[in-house]
Amino acid sequence: MTDIDDFRAKARAWLAANVSADKSPPAGPASRDYVLAWQQRLASGGWTGITWPEAYGGRGLSVTEQIVWCEEYALADGPTPLDASFVGMNHAGPTLIACGTEEQKAFHLPKILAGEVIWCQGFSEPGTGSDLASLRTRARVEGDELVIDGQKIWSSFADIADWQELLVRTGTGGKPHAGISWVICPMDAPGITVRPIATMAGPTKYCEVFYDNVRIPLANVVGGLNNGWATAMSTLSFERGTAALALQLRLVLQVEELVAACPVDRPVLRARLAKLRAEAAAMRAMAYRFAIEAATGVPGPEGSIIRLYFAELSQRVGAAAIELYGLAAPETLGDHGWAHDYLDSFSETIAGGTAEIQRNIIGERVLGLPRGPR
Amino acid sequence: MNFELSEDQHSIVDGVAKLLDAFDRQPPHTAGFAFYAPDVDAALAEAGFLDIAREEGFGPLDGALIVEAVARYPRTVEAAATILVAPALGIAPGIRPIALATRIDAAARYLPMAKLLLVLDADDVRLVEVPEGGVETIETLFAYPYGRLKDPAAAKVTRLGSEAATILARRWRLAIVAEAAGCMQAALDVVLDHVKTRVAFGKPLGAQQAVQHRLAMAAETVHSTKWLAFHAAYTDDETDCATACAFAQDRIPQFTYDLHQFSGAMGLTLEYPLHHWSYRLRALLGELGGSSAQARAAAQAAWA
Repeated sequence: MTDIDDFRAKARAWLAANVSADKSPPAGPASRDYVLAWQQRLASGGWTGITWPEAYGGRGLSVTEQIVWCEEYALADGPTPLDASFVGMNHAGPTLIACGTEEQKAFHLPKILAGEVIWCQGFSEPGTGSDLASLRTRARVEGDELVIDGQKIWSSFADIADWQELLVRTGTGGKPHAGISWVICPMDAPGITVRPIATMAGPTKYCEVFYDNVRIPLANVVGGLNNGWATAMSTLSFERGTAALALQLRLVLQVEELVAACPVDRPVLRARLAKLRAEAAAMRAMAYRFAIEAATGVPGPEGSIIRLYFAELSQRVGAAAIELYGLAAPETLGDHGWAHDYLDSFSETIAGGTAEIQRNIIGERVLGLPRGPR
Repeated sequence: MNFELSEDQHSIVDGVAKLLDAFDRQPPHTAGFAFYAPDVDAALAEAGFLDIAREEGFGPLDGALIVEAVARYPRTVEAAATILVAPALGIAPGIRPIALATRIDAAARYLPMAKLLLVLDADDVRLVEVPEGGVETIETLFAYPYGRLKDPAAAKVTRLGSEAATILARRWRLAIVAEAAGCMQAALDVVLDHVKTRVAFGKPLGAQQAVQHRLAMAAETVHSTKWLAFHAAYTDDETDCATACAFAQDRIPQFTYDLHQFSGAMGLTLEYPLHHWSYRLRALLGELGGSSAQARAAAQAAWA
């Protein structure tokens, strides 16, 4: 047995013993309890922070081991990585590792790894979606504090979060990208109000967050005052690259499930599912290749190709599932059924940079085309 | 081919629009996800619109015009089965709402308030009288009220025979495409308003060529679906109805993707009206086996 075979066997055994058939509540305090309990379980088994460097409490696994873990995680149908732990594990943590001070790392990273805290993101604002650099939430420096006023929106799980990675405008004049700061915001700070938003997929995981004279220490700035754009781009590149492999592999398996479930007397649908199977296989190949290349540094813009491909494929797979089972079937009903998944997949081409932004990135940064008018 | 509406048809379409205008077009958000409108239903029935296809000189085309117009309203009304299916099967007026299903034990649209359930089998139709209190309401996310018979084995069933099965399949497909056409038009109207007023990068979203191109394709889908539906209603032909339904169901995923995409995250919320129609479109997408089943039926009918 090779080392990687041995690793796979250990991962499979641990997941078999620890993944529960009980699915996460989709939102609210119950989902917080579920997510933290799962993170703590992962930590106790040594399976958290597998991509993080050992110096910061992670396991620093090789990219091959990471891929194997994600394969086994998807096969075991583990809790979705897109739950309330996602921002902490895949955005805030890696961003602090890349740009944070030693004090920030020492305070926050162990808590994220141990499953003690939930992080959320405060980037988008009303009227400021794809045009992120036009954000208007302001922070003025008063002594050794930042005083924040403004509003954020689409902050997933803000209602159950302890911390927020928050973009604020701290400088004036110059280009829109200048004068932005990336700060660590405690969600229990006086002056913060959170309002969950009802969405068409059912759960109210998205929230609006209002800031009224919120005071946080200047020491919570990450990557330097007015340098938040560069810090945020580092954050977003994680989302566009390596963070969602288990999710992508789960989609590959879901297509296999649909292929297996499609009866012989539906040849047209079978042909469509065969095409989706090829598309899923292509996505997996791209994702592996990208993960291996990205292992040598910060993920590059090619991650946008996979991000876009996965987001649009998710919708096509969801539509095929509805067609296969029908809307009234047990397979489609409920918080974890295909109906919810299909509706929820529509957020995939919007959250974390819309499909249009991904296309701009592919055109300009991957293909080297001239920057078009915005 | 004459695509001009007759004077009577203009009167029908204008009459439905006027009736719907009397009701609140932005209903308050309700606790669940089913947006059923019993008040609109009663008004349409009272005005005689739901029995139009039974009137002398009128037929499925006039019925399809009404179904399309009613589908533009943000809440749901069981109009399609009553207008397009019931008269063709000889079901007496007033026995409605009517739910349609392919299994007697499956969840079906409008079953919680239905008087009749029509079950389409391979070569038969089972007409089921829905017993008072005999339906379990099913929670779904798709705007239509869904329910399931609590005790299908105890249901009083009348079999209508193989000819009825052909008629039901044909008219059900017509009902789907006519309703989808109305939902598409209303959904596109919402998004056009949005992209004209929502500013990003210093100009309206709709000024971006990439947005314009995809919304132009969405408009093409709306128009082609609508005229295909009306053509199928006019011919009332098995192949035409299956073809039109296959086309509409095939277009729904890309159409709903584009419309939600240009509404941004706001379009995913219940505060934005798009979901009133995009929910329904996604429900219609999988009905009666979806586009692949209709395409196969169309092929079988064409090469029979």
